[in-house]
Amino acid sequence: MTILAAASTPLIDWSALWRIALAALIGGAGIVILFGFLLYGVKVANQAKSEGHEGRRIGAYFVSGVCGAICVALVVVGIYAMAHKPKSKPTPPPKSAAVYKPAASRTELVASLP
Amino acid sequence: MATTFVLVLVVIMGFAFDFTNGFHDTANAMATSIATGALKPKVAVGISAVLNFAGAFISISVAATIAKGIVNPDVLVGGDALDLVLAALIGAMTWNLITWYFTIPSSSSHALIGGIIGATIVATSSGEIDWHDLVQSVIIPALLSPFIAGGVAALGVYCAYRLIRRLGQKEARTGYRYGQVFSASLVSLAHGTNDAQKTMGVISLALIAHGDISATNFSVPLWVKLGCALSISLGTASGGWRIINTMGNRITNIESPQGFAAESASAAVILASSYYGYPLSTTQVVSGGVLGAGLGKARNSVHWGVIGQMVSAWIVTMPGAGALGGIAWAISNIFSPNLGAAVIVALAAAGAFGLWTLAQRNKITASDLDRTNVSVVDEAERSGVPPAIATT
Repeated sequence: MTILAAASTPLIDWSALWRIALAALIGGAGIVILFGFLLYGVKVANQAKSEGHEGRRIGAYFVSGVCGAICVALVVVGIYAMAHKPKSKPTPPPKSAAVYKPAASRTELVASLP
Repeated sequence: MATTFVLVLVVIMGFAFDFTNGFHDTANAMATSIATGALKPKVAVGISAVLNFAGAFISISVAATIAKGIVNPDVLVGGDALDLVLAALIGAMTWNLITWYFTIPSSSSHALIGGIIGATIVATSSGEIDWHDLVQSVIIPALLSPFIAGGVAALGVYCAYRLIRRLGQKEARTGYRYGQVFSASLVSLAHGTNDAQKTMGVISLALIAHGDISATNFSVPLWVKLGCALSISLGTASGGWRIINTMGNRITNIESPQGFAAESASAAVILASSYYGYPLSTTQVVSGGVLGAGLGKARNSVHWGVIGQMVSAWIVTMPGAGALGGIAWAISNIFSPNLGAAVIVALAAAGAFGLWTLAQRNKITASDLDRTNVSVVDEAERSGVPPAIATT
């Protein structure tokens, strides 16, 4: 890559960066908060059961269930992201090598691989 | 005949590198779970080993070469490329062992990139390296990712401890201990997906260069997948207790909500970055997550001296592994192809044995790290008292 071409290409892909930060915020901090509410809901439900408040118990379990379901959904999204990684950025065309002279088909293969 | 012998050595060293990658990176997934007593050490590494093995088969797309776009692809094909790849693997593996001996978590991925770059520069010239792409695709993401993971973990910990006031210490810590098992498992799975495939790609390219794989219908042979998956899994199962001790005990006195936040933040950053095309170092992201989790609770609970050691190691990882890869190539080039390859493999094996022997003087075992007998109440009272497990 020439110096001018390199200088014109930004070093930070801000578009990808904010998407990654947002996904990390939702998946990372979000799951911690949701899990905390799941535990809190279970505690409230147990307290309600001991005090005989059936409605409150059901409500608390419902909240815990929703939080738990969202946590599981986030994990499933994570595993889906693992299994369906898109292809990486395209490789720049190979430069001529000073030492190695490989077959053209092998060079093209390496350049086209993900 | 010469290249077939070197190819065999490349495959063996590839598996050896994956083995060191396994025990080096076990800490990333399981250190916090072990440190908080959520899991017994041997149970934790057993789970991580199984998930690393499974993770290696999850994604159908293989990173053909970890240095794709950074090193001129012409350099990585052809008969002479086998010597270069072998030197790169030896450089990366040796760096992993050195940092393991000094109990410093460092990036196996960056070690492999550094090894390839170093061997390439010595074998050809620095003109075969796309330095701009190296900075854009590797260095910048490596600099930013620990901060993102740390920030997310700090926010998660801050919110978690607000909830703990309503929840009660015992219920919260017990609950988050269970949660840690799942968050740590997700990081193990992500690690297996990302890291085993890097070596699969390196070995596959070596097979292409040797003509064993079709250049037009590319697919990774099953034995390569199984070998890499098994190597990283066995490495994980061997424990890596020295680095687990650093990650779990020496950065901050971690509690179960912090551990859960650190692992969740790290998993989210790793998976999001990988999905958008920026594979990261699991080690650096998790270290940032643990640091952020420590800061999220109390700023003075972090051992900055240990952080300084780790950051220093990260900065020198690529140049260090590159230097070792370059030296390995230079030594192999003194002799005939077969003999040169055999000499550098023998030297690497001797160095590995030497480091392992030295490490036995300050051995850390699974029983040193077992915290499952610590109650959640005692866990809360541990804050502010640094655990004293001797290391070099």
